[in-house]
Amino acid sequence: MSTDWDELLGAALVGTARRGFTVDRLGIPGADGVAAEGAEAQLLAAAALASGYRRAGWVPPVWRGTPAPPAGPDDRPECSPAAAQLLELLLNRTIRIEGGTDLIVLHWLAAARAAGQRPPHPMVVDLLRFGTANTATRAVIRDVLGPRGAWLARFNPAWRWAATVPPEDVVERFATATRADRLALLADLRATEPDFARTLVEDTWDDEQAATRAGLLDTFHIGLSERDEPLLERALDDRAASVRAAAAAMLDRLPGSARAARMAARATALITVGKGLTVELPDEPDAAARRDGVTDHREPGYGRAASWLIQILAATPLSTWDPDLIGDADQEVLTGWTKAALRQRNQEWLAALARHQPGPELIGALTPEVATEILAGQKKLDARFGGLLAAARGPWPAEFSAALINRMRAQKTENVLQLAASALAEHLHPAALAAVEGWLLTLDAERKPARRVLRGLAHALTVRATIDQEFR
Amino acid sequence: MADLGSRWTVAQVLALAPDSGSAKSARGLANPRTWSDLGSNESLVWGKCQGSARAPYQVTVDLNEPAFRCTCPSRKFPCKHGLALLLLWSANDGVVADLDTTEPFAADWAADRAARTKSAATGRTPDPEAQAKRLAERESLMSAGIDDFERWLHDIARQGLASVRRQPPGFWDAAGARLVDAQVPGLGERVRAMGSAVHARHDWAPHLLGELGRWYLAVNAWRRRAELDPAAMGDLRALLGWSRRTEEVRSGERLADRWHVVGLSQEEDERLLSQRTWLYGEHTKETVVLLDFAAAGMALTVSHVLGSVVDGEVALYPGGAPRRALFAGDEHKVAQGEGLPGATDVGAALDRAARWQAGNPWLRRVPMALTGMTVVPGDTPLLVDRNGAALTLAPDTDVWQLLALSGGHPIPVFGEWGGERFHPLSAEIDDRLVSV
Repeated sequence: MSTDWDELLGAALVGTARRGFTVDRLGIPGADGVAAEGAEAQLLAAAALASGYRRAGWVPPVWRGTPAPPAGPDDRPECSPAAAQLLELLLNRTIRIEGGTDLIVLHWLAAARAAGQRPPHPMVVDLLRFGTANTATRAVIRDVLGPRGAWLARFNPAWRWAATVPPEDVVERFATATRADRLALLADLRATEPDFARTLVEDTWDDEQAATRAGLLDTFHIGLSERDEPLLERALDDRAASVRAAAAAMLDRLPGSARAARMAARATALITVGKGLTVELPDEPDAAARRDGVTDHREPGYGRAASWLIQILAATPLSTWDPDLIGDADQEVLTGWTKAALRQRNQEWLAALARHQPGPELIGALTPEVATEILAGQKKLDARFGGLLAAARGPWPAEFSAALINRMRAQKTENVLQLAASALAEHLHPAALAAVEGWLLTLDAERKPARRVLRGLAHALTVRATIDQEFR
Repeated sequence: MADLGSRWTVAQVLALAPDSGSAKSARGLANPRTWSDLGSNESLVWGKCQGSARAPYQVTVDLNEPAFRCTCPSRKFPCKHGLALLLLWSANDGVVADLDTTEPFAADWAADRAARTKSAATGRTPDPEAQAKRLAERESLMSAGIDDFERWLHDIARQGLASVRRQPPGFWDAAGARLVDAQVPGLGERVRAMGSAVHARHDWAPHLLGELGRWYLAVNAWRRRAELDPAAMGDLRALLGWSRRTEEVRSGERLADRWHVVGLSQEEDERLLSQRTWLYGEHTKETVVLLDFAAAGMALTVSHVLGSVVDGEVALYPGGAPRRALFAGDEHKVAQGEGLPGATDVGAALDRAARWQAGNPWLRRVPMALTGMTVVPGDTPLLVDRNGAALTLAPDTDVWQLLALSGGHPIPVFGEWGGERFHPLSAEIDDRLVSV
């Protein structure tokens, strides 16, 4: 049959003007009884008959590969249909929220993660695409997608960021992958097995290029602990300045390290605590101080010696000082302490410094409760306040949220509203919805920009309330 | 949010869009800011949309059909306002709430519609003589067109497929247009489609040869139409595109069953929007297909929900299995299905396909309910059953979605088989049919 078909096809390709094919040449019972006059009709009749036979007798090829092992089980319950639908509407932009649809998507993801629920499998592809486009959302997307997402991502290079590397492949991948992939792999590994990750770095350390060594050290901020200290201490002697700087930056975050103690010795030699603070500016750093990472880098707005002081204070454990001294400190000491508090993530000092002199960096490092308490104490709702508000983490407490809106409305601070629009949409407690709507009702129709922000805000709060309700 | 199950998904709403532009505009309009007086009840959704005109458009949707009413001047149907209203409603985020009182404009329209449906039942009786004359005229027009088509087929056979492939697209379009003019639009559409297939398909030569054979078969069948049995005549008429009046079909053969909606497929070209709804009968084990058409830019009046189970009679078009059908009008939804009924392995499905194609050589899309199918991604993605029998997935398949749904596990899949390509329409996940 197949040779008959091939001959028929050959004749058809060149045409009956050059080569004919008669029906009776097909080895099909009854074919010779088909009435067809002329070479063309014979060929067409043969095509009708043979193609029917061919199609009926078609046998599928047998695939002999080994299917990839299926995705691992996911014990988490699927989110409610309403929650899933809401996410779909947000992802495909059917619901659009002025200035912050993606923030609401993040809110959805965070709520799902907190509730221990997963999206329906059909949404996995859309979320992988969303995470590919929005780098900052990748960590939470990976958590929310769970094993199904990690499994699917392995089949598409664009989704590599979401794929789990099987443990047995980690060493091999770390040795052979591109630089970006290696750093991503290490960052993942630091989150779960920081000690193993460090061992991998130590194994190849001497053979890496300087830029790579610095990049590898940068991933240490994930899962950093005193067990990383020996490698970091060693890296302070690195021949490349970038690596030394990276090591010093990591050690800044370890107030229990030997380097921190050395810095404390330098700092206490300069600052005397008595009746108030007596501060002596440091001399040119010696070789030991240079090794510990004190550089000639100028802090903006300060002279050479003051910059050295700030660097020393920034690397000194805050336990060296009493927070009650903040009120007596000069600006360069405050700058040094602020850097130290941020790097050591010391909530007590962060809060004390923010109460004394609130700035966006400090506010952004505080827990929502402390941050909003400090914000509530601010007297003027000006542009500076808008900047602080935009920096504060959420979720904001209900009482603060409603009071904030009412204060803003009373003081007619529409510029703050616009400066902090995204933060408001993201962090304001849904209980503030009534206050937002109340403001909107009384706001003059000509205040178009403010009205737009308020409408977006009301919409965002409604959607967020729905999300919270669906994940309760 | 307790009533959410009864609201549609975005996909269901957007499936009603007459074209992608309308879907896009509707999404843009699905914003509570441009709407007022929104509300819904069991069968109606209404709202006023502030458009470019001074007075807001009054928009109402009857969810039962669904049917749309909007006071805007758009000639698209449904218009973007109707779709946007449904999108808002489907979000079920409190923007469109279920209300006890209906806006007057919505209630009035619903009442008008109910009255019209009643009066439409009384029809007119046509003049039989004029009808016979029209029929004879049509058949002679078709015969002339088919004679001309046969000469065209002979020309192709004489010149050879290789030289025909070098013809410009106008070669196929012109032949297709002549068939349309001769009131043989179905065949015309198949001829037109070949214009791109001869270039797009790597197996273009066997594909074209097979189609030429089937077209030639149609020419001969038409000449001998007096000898054909009703089923064969039905298949021939379906191929030629000689439609039947639904009243004629309704008064013919019927089949009662509990029907599972197992697959939905929509296609749109510049002229026509068509939807195939595949139904599987629980007791008769028959697979039938509902075909709904609308001119491009218009909406389909009927939409069935994938996975639903409907009790009722269908009226069958004359033809071989799988039969085209339409609901006789007494159907009602009884349940949401629990998966894909009647699924087999690839071998059994191909055997059945061969039997069906023996009865109807022009059958192009063979429904297949397959069990235990594993998705194998790759340059040519495959669907493989437990015996290793592999079907190539159609190029427009969203393989990622299928893979995400299955998680690498074997799953039941429903789809259409044709031209050695499988086009999946739905898959069973956790005892539920999901569109793919």
